[in-house]
Amino acid sequence: MGKIELTLKKEPTFSLEAESINPDNFKGKTQKDIGNLIIFHGNEKLTLKDFFDIKGTAANNLNEIEIVINGNLSKVKRIGEKMSGGTITINGDMGMHVGNTMNGGKIVVNGNAADWAGAMMEGGELEITGNAGNYVGAAYRGNWEGMTNGVIKVKGSVGYESMIWARGSTPKKRFPKLICGSAGQFLGLHNHGGIIICEGNAEARVAADQARGFVVVKGKIGRMMPSFKKIGEVSEIELPDGEKISGKFVEYSGDHATSSETKGRLFVAR
Amino acid sequence: MEFFLTTGRTIDQGVALEGEKLGRENIKACAICEFDKDDFAKLDCMIGTPVKVTTKFGEIIVYSQISEQGPHPGIIFIPMGPWANAVIDSETYGTGMPSYKGTEAEVEVVKSGRILSALEIIKSYK
Amino acid sequence: MKKFKSFEDVVCPFCGTLCDDLKIILEDNKIVEVDNACAIGTAKFFSSNVSEHRYTTPMMRKNGKLKEVSWDEALNKAAELLANAKRPLSYGWSSTECDAQRKAVELMEICGGILDNTASVCHGPSILAIQDVGCPTSTLGEYKNRADLVLFWGSNPVHAHPRHMSRYSDFIRGYFRIDGHLDRTIIVVDPRTTHTAQMADMHIRLNPGEDYELFNAIRAMCRGVELDIKEVAGVPIKKVKELVEILKSCKFGVLFFGLGLTMTKGKHRNVDAGISLTRELNDHTKFNLTPMRGHYNVSGANIVFTWSTGYPYSIDFSKDYPRYNPGEFSAVDVLKTNDFDVTLVVASDPASNFPKDAVINMLKKPLISVEPHKTPTSEMADIVLPPAIAGIECEGTAYRMDKVPIRLRKVKNAPEGCMTDAEIVEKLIEKVKELKGE
Repeated sequence: MGKIELTLKKEPTFSLEAESINPDNFKGKTQKDIGNLIIFHGNEKLTLKDFFDIKGTAANNLNEIEIVINGNLSKVKRIGEKMSGGTITINGDMGMHVGNTMNGGKIVVNGNAADWAGAMMEGGELEITGNAGNYVGAAYRGNWEGMTNGVIKVKGSVGYESMIWARGSTPKKRFPKLICGSAGQFLGLHNHGGIIICEGNAEARVAADQARGFVVVKGKIGRMMPSFKKIGEVSEIELPDGEKISGKFVEYSGDHATSSETKGRLFVAR
Repeated sequence: MEFFLTTGRTIDQGVALEGEKLGRENIKACAICEFDKDDFAKLDCMIGTPVKVTTKFGEIIVYSQISEQGPHPGIIFIPMGPWANAVIDSETYGTGMPSYKGTEAEVEVVKSGRILSALEIIKSYK
Repeated sequence: MKKFKSFEDVVCPFCGTLCDDLKIILEDNKIVEVDNACAIGTAKFFSSNVSEHRYTTPMMRKNGKLKEVSWDEALNKAAELLANAKRPLSYGWSSTECDAQRKAVELMEICGGILDNTASVCHGPSILAIQDVGCPTSTLGEYKNRADLVLFWGSNPVHAHPRHMSRYSDFIRGYFRIDGHLDRTIIVVDPRTTHTAQMADMHIRLNPGEDYELFNAIRAMCRGVELDIKEVAGVPIKKVKELVEILKSCKFGVLFFGLGLTMTKGKHRNVDAGISLTRELNDHTKFNLTPMRGHYNVSGANIVFTWSTGYPYSIDFSKDYPRYNPGEFSAVDVLKTNDFDVTLVVASDPASNFPKDAVINMLKKPLISVEPHKTPTSEMADIVLPPAIAGIECEGTAYRMDKVPIRLRKVKNAPEGCMTDAEIVEKLIEKVKELKGE
């Protein structure tokens, strides 16, 4: 009930801009209507049915809508853009911008995702079972405010500049959070209240230019920022969203490049 | 020997690029690899001997030289152009800019091997 | 009877320093003497004389070889390729004047393609950083007159901007710097002991690729934070403290930065940290920065594209409105991922300057090159359209590295039949519109 399945029937030659694929756009539409939704292939304006076989129908209630998409979607961009409810399950690799600006609902990518996954996220959940590219949960160009709420989980690695300019708020109970297997450079750059947990190693420049927020690295950091200062050793970390992490960590304050006194914290396993 | 490969502008490369990119001047200006003086001594060859620069991304044979802009131990410099671009890391990390400055490279002196011209390199890509 | 003509105050169309004091002497329509320019500028003027290196008619590839064709045939074929393309890419645009750049936007908008300029492999990262953290800047004239501390970071002007130091940043006498070189402190930060470093008062030879760490350490120290480290980026902490004192105590400092920041790991974030440091030094003194733009009018390309579309480079028009995202719509990434079907290169040589895998893909699809001289790109193209050389054979506006617009001069005529870049693009726009039925 409420499950609609799209299977890629033709490999796109160029990028396919598929922002029309999300539960909000499918709500209350017939299978035929969904097939006629606009999709751009290069500068050609085409429809979903030109690239996907469609089975099933969409529920009338947004939160009951389940979209399943199958195929090699590595050239397909923007699936789940701006969604506010329902679920999308992608069985295959995903292109850029999956789940960007989403504020509710859940996306699961059973595969890898390209750059900008979950960018500008405002709520909801995004899960990637493989690796993600650069700019996971990041702010788009020129934006000082990136992810403001929601949770992104990447089992594998994230590329460079993930969670840049994240903006959380404890009084407003907004806790933008990223959990990743390992990370490239600039994880949590310009952090303003985001929560980041890296289960493995992080390359370098972790939490660089952090103003406030929490970054926890359970593996090793390739090269520490010189502008962070060790302030102690802990065996438990309490995060602002209530989660507790046990283990032996060194606690650092930083990034002191941005201010002499800072609420920003970096925890590295010892 | 392992090095940090960087690439960039030189006056000679700039002069050669103005109108004569297919000529001999361009090869003399760009198909070179500049070594720190002490690093070059370890290579144990004469100035101008061809060397093969190999990275994860490709290999190229260029003339070896002692840098006038040293010391810079551990760093080798190839002027910008098709020789450098045959071996640098094209990864942009989502920014559009390849890693022109900063690729790990191995260098060995070669006993045989020709320095290709700019056009020969590009034609080999077709 | 040979006719000699001389021009003074000619503007040099090579690098972002945009020198405007050249003297050019011609014999009939041939340049025979260039005064005041650097070696590279001189070479550029001489290269405009007709030679075996210069195209005088359009070329088209027939049976695998480039053959001379008429302007009509070449323009018609180019327009056909562009009009039928689903994802055309146009790249270059930095070595030409603003009118042509303005028309580039119009052309790529009509074609519904991607428009990029050489900033994406040069100072594009600087623009990305400026969009995030701003840019406390001024003009070269102000620096010449006021700056007593000049910091070259990841920049080697002796080789890339040869007259910069003589005209603006080191040797020249300024209003408040009446003793020229003796009235200024020059500091170079570079992993190599470059020729510029060899002339400097202080050289910081840091580990390559660790500029970001050094910037942030300096920023923290400028705030009075005691760091518990003995060295940063390979530089002993004592030397960093010395540098911090010099930076804080100057009267007017300027940071000139180059590709050492934009091309090493971190790219735009290296510039971000440099801009943040400059901004924060204004708590102690007066400090500005200016990127050392490479091409004489890449600044113009960014400015013209921005006033037309809102965006400086890496712009996509496929959905009828302009969208911007370096890394997604930048030429190197578009070529690497094969997300294009035709390439139009104007005033640039990506076959020489792009990494191998981007070039390999570019050569697999139709390539149109607007280029006066024989380059690896033009010799591999399917269509070559030879223009008049902007700044030598046609007038126009160019923007210097500090965004000051200067009018380029025409000192000689182009080879018979060669149109300007702007005229070529205008013809392509007309023909593409016709083919698309607009």
